[in-house]
Amino acid sequence: MSLVFDTNMLIYMLEIVVGGLLVSVGVHFVPVGGAPAAMAQATGIGTGTVTLAAGSGLTGLLSAGLMMSVTDNIWPILATGAVGSMIMMDATMLTGDFIYSYAVGCPYASAKVNYDPITMFPQPPYVAPGTVGQGIPTVCFVSGTIGALLGGVGGAMIYYPCLQIGGNPAQAAIFAIGIFFVQAVIPSWNIQGTIEGFHDPKFKKWPLAFKASLVAGILLAIMTVLIQPLGVA
Amino acid sequence: MDQLKGFKLEPKQLRMYGIIGSVVGIYLTVGLNAMTGTKVFSFIGCIAALFAVLWGANSIRRICSYGLGTGVPAMGMLCTGMACVAAVFGLNIAGRFGFEIAGPIITLVYAMVFGYVVGTLCNKVMKFNIPIMEEGLMDGSGACTMAVLAWSVSLSGSLSYNEIIATVYNTGFLAVIFILGGMALFHPFNANLGPDEKQDRTLIDGMMVGGLAMFGLGICSIVTIGFAPAMLTIVVGFALWYYFFVWYFRLAKRDAAAVVGTGLLPPSAL
Amino acid sequence: MDAFGMGICAAAGALAFVAGASEDIDSDIGSQSNPNSQVQLAAQVGNPHRIYNKAIAGEPPSNALWCAVACLMAYVLIEGYHMPLLFAAVAGASLAALFDGVMSISAYLGRSASQARFNQWIYLDIIRYTTPSIMAHVWITSFCITLIAIIQVYVLTPHHPFPIPVIGLIWGITVGAIGSSVGDIHYGGEREFQWRLFGQGLNTMLSGQIVRKAEAGLRNSIDNAWFCAKFGGPCTGLGFGLTVFLDNWRTTVFDPVTQATYAIAMGCFFVLAMNLYNLYMEISARKKYGPYPGYKGDIAA
Repeated sequence: MSLVFDTNMLIYMLEIVVGGLLVSVGVHFVPVGGAPAAMAQATGIGTGTVTLAAGSGLTGLLSAGLMMSVTDNIWPILATGAVGSMIMMDATMLTGDFIYSYAVGCPYASAKVNYDPITMFPQPPYVAPGTVGQGIPTVCFVSGTIGALLGGVGGAMIYYPCLQIGGNPAQAAIFAIGIFFVQAVIPSWNIQGTIEGFHDPKFKKWPLAFKASLVAGILLAIMTVLIQPLGVA
Repeated sequence: MDQLKGFKLEPKQLRMYGIIGSVVGIYLTVGLNAMTGTKVFSFIGCIAALFAVLWGANSIRRICSYGLGTGVPAMGMLCTGMACVAAVFGLNIAGRFGFEIAGPIITLVYAMVFGYVVGTLCNKVMKFNIPIMEEGLMDGSGACTMAVLAWSVSLSGSLSYNEIIATVYNTGFLAVIFILGGMALFHPFNANLGPDEKQDRTLIDGMMVGGLAMFGLGICSIVTIGFAPAMLTIVVGFALWYYFFVWYFRLAKRDAAAVVGTGLLPPSAL
Repeated sequence: MDAFGMGICAAAGALAFVAGASEDIDSDIGSQSNPNSQVQLAAQVGNPHRIYNKAIAGEPPSNALWCAVACLMAYVLIEGYHMPLLFAAVAGASLAALFDGVMSISAYLGRSASQARFNQWIYLDIIRYTTPSIMAHVWITSFCITLIAIIQVYVLTPHHPFPIPVIGLIWGITVGAIGSSVGDIHYGGEREFQWRLFGQGLNTMLSGQIVRKAEAGLRNSIDNAWFCAKFGGPCTGLGFGLTVFLDNWRTTVFDPVTQATYAIAMGCFFVLAMNLYNLYMEISARKKYGPYPGYKGDIAA
C-alpha cells in the first residue's frame, strides 16, 4: 500500500482548515477579562480564553457527535454544534452576570467604548473608579454568542471530516479536541489573554491569528487526512 | 535539610535525554514484548514517557518565564492537542509502508517541525519577539508527542497502528493521556511559579506527576493488556510516584522560608 | 419523547447542578484559578497569609483531569468487570479525589516555596485539614460528571457515540470553564476583599491586600467555602445545570433524526431568551444602582 491522494481528501483538508479558522476567529469574539474580571476589575468573563472557547466549542462537539451518530447530513450537524456551544456560553455569561449584579452589586460597563454599539447606553459613568469596567454588557454578550457560534460550527466542522475518514467516533472526537485546542491557543496568544469582543481595538489584530492558524491548520490537516484506516495486516 | 543536593541541567542536555530516553524506551518496550511474546514489559513505556516529561517541562518552564499573557496551561494544551494527532500519524504512515518500526521517528520529526513552524509564526506573524520561542515550542511539542506515544505504547504493548487505535483511542483512554500528559508538562512550572522557582524542584514535580500518570494508566491497562502486566505498571508507578514525591517534599523544604507544623503569620507580618 | 428519557434528562440536569456547585466550592477552598492571582500577589506586597494556594493549571484542565480519571476507573470497571454503573462511578470518583489530593499538595508546597523571599511559610496543618475538604468536593464533582457521562452513553437514547473518558474530559473542561467564570467572581470580588467600597469591583490600588484575618484568629480557606457556598456555588451550578439540561432536553423532546430542525430552533430560542434576559438585567442594574458618584467626564449617564 502506498500514499494515495484524491479529491475527497482535499475536501476533508479544506473542511479541517476552515473549521480551524472559524475557531480561531471565534476566539476573538469571546469577551474574556482574565483574572481581573473575576475581581470585577475588568469587563468580560473571568477566565482564560483557551479554556472558555474549549468549554463552549467542545460542548458543541458533544451535541454534534450525538447528531452525527444518527445522520450524515452536514447541516444539522453544524447547526447543532453551534447551538450546543451557544447555550453553554450564554448560560455561563448569564449566571456570571447574576453574580455581578446580585453579589458584587455593580452595573455592567465596558471601558473600551463610550457608547455600547448595540444598545447605545453611555458607558464611562458606570465604570467604577480604579477599574476598567465590570460585568458583561449587551455588546459583549452578543459578541460572546457570535464567538460561541463560530467555535461550535468550527468544532463540528473539524469533527465531520475526521469521522468521515476513519469512521470511528472515538478517534475522530479525540482528533477534533486536539485540533480545536491548537486553534484556540494560537488566537489567544494573539490577543494576549484578554479581549472585550468585536468592539475592542484588539479585535483588529485578528488577521495575524488568521494567518498563523491557516498555516497550523494546514499542517494538522495534512496529518489528519493521511491517517487512513489500515486493513488487518 | 540544607545538605540536600540539587541539580542543574542545560536545555541541550535535557533534549538529548528526552529524545534518546523516550525513543529507546519505546523500542525497548516493543522489542522485549515481542521477544518474550508477553505484555509484561509494557511498563517501560511509561518510564520512557518520564524522560519526555522532563524534556517538555523544562521547555515550558523556559518559554513561560517570558509571560505569554494566557497563563502556563495554554502552551501545554497546544502541545498535547497536536500530540493527539501526531502520535498515531507516524505509526499509520509507517504501517502503510509495512515498516512499523520507523513510526516513532516519523512522529517525532513531524511534531518537532510543527512546533518549529508554530514558533516561527508566533514570532514573525504575531510579533511575539521571544527569542527562544521556536526552539521552546519545538521541544515542547516533540516532548509532548513522545510522551503521548510512549504512554500509548505502554497501554497497548505494541507499535501497531491498529492495536493502538483499538486499545487507546476507541476506549477513550487517549483523553486521559491527553490531559495527564498535558498536566505532567505544565503542572510543574505552574505549581512552582514564583520568583524563587528552582529548576530541580520544578522538574522533580514533573517526574512526580509522571509517576502519578503511570499509576493511573496502569489502571487503564487492566482492560487493555491484562491484569498481571497492568499490576506491574501500577506498582512501579506507585513506587516512582512515592520516591519523587518524597524528593519533591524535601526540595520544597529546602527552598521554603520556613516549614512549620502550625502557627500564626511570620512575626514580620502580624 | 418518553417519560423515562425525560426523567433521566432531568436527573442529568440535577447532577450537573450539584457538580457545578461543588466544583466552585472546591476551587474557592483552594483559591484556584483567577482569585489565585491575588493570593499569589498578597505575599509579594508584604501580606503573607494562611490561605491555601492550589494552583493546578487553572480550573478547566484540572477538572478535566479529575473527571477523565474518574471516567477511566468507571470504564475499566464497567467494560472489564461488568460492575454496576453506580458502583463504578463511586470507585472512579474516589480515584479522582486521590489524584486531586496529590496535585493540590504539590501545588501548595511549590507555590509557597517559590515565595521564600517574601517570607511565605509552608504550614503543614493547612495541608492536613484543608486538602481533605478539597478532595471531598472533587469527589462530588467527579462522581456527578461520571454519572452524567454514564447516563449519556449507556442509558439515554440515542446512545452517545463517544467513550465515557472523552465525555468526562469534555464535561470537565466545561464545568471548569463555568466555575472559573461564574463562581470565582463571588470569591474574588466579594470574599477575598472585604474592606473596599460595596457596589464596585476591586480598585487596582488594593491589589494584593486580601483579607487575612477572620472574626477570631486568622482566616483559613474553609471559611471561604462557608461564604461562597451561599451564592457563588449555586450560581455555578445553575450555569452548568442549564448547559447540560437544555442541551439534552432539546434532543430528548425532539427526535434528532426526524425533528432535527425543531431541536435546533428550540436551542436558538433558548439563546435568544438568554440574550434578552441579560439585556433586562443590564437595564435594571443601571437603573437601580445608577452611575458612580465620582464620575467627572462629559458623557451624560
